[in-house]
Amino acid sequence: MSGWFLALAIAEMVVVGVLVVRLARGPSVSDRIVAVNSICTQGALVVLLFAVAADRSGYLDVAIWLASFSYLGGLVWARYLERGLL
Amino acid sequence: MTDIATIILSCWGALFSLTAAVGLIRMPDVYNRIQCSTQLVTFGALPILVAIAVFAGPVSPYGSRALIVAALLLVLAPATSHAVGRSAYLTDVPMWPGSVRDQPRE
Repeated sequence: MSGWFLALAIAEMVVVGVLVVRLARGPSVSDRIVAVNSICTQGALVVLLFAVAADRSGYLDVAIWLASFSYLGGLVWARYLERGLL
Repeated sequence: MTDIATIILSCWGALFSLTAAVGLIRMPDVYNRIQCSTQLVTFGALPILVAIAVFAGPVSPYGSRALIVAALLLVLAPATSHAVGRSAYLTDVPMWPGSVRDQPRE
């Protein structure tokens, strides 16, 4: 079953590769914020799946931090675009 | 039994992740892309996290962390999508020319 989770992690990396195209091409800053948020979510998933596949519980906290702080970063970016720095 | 449920849930999540990523490439507009990115979370990431929780058991270290991440995503993803869409509208990111209605401007 650990090979299955490793394959899932690689599939999510393929999804990240598709999202990087939008990150590079996005015409506006908001497109890039959306792409970065999605990439961070997929990154947290990949870390979690790799932790299950390799049976290393030390990586789990990395996944929680990635999942929470990527979205907080997106909120901060949106607020900055809307109202300026302060 | 848990193996079959894990495989079904994770295949579902991986397929929807791929379709949502293709949607993020193909959609013509920021606002449509935001809709696709929320689909990436609710239909792509959540089944995979539930699959981890089913495989490892909900009170094991892996399963409990997966459920915590799922709860965080469920709370934070709609809030961030709302904020990003609002800031995109306020900073005059153009809509797709085929859009039929611009409700805040009417």
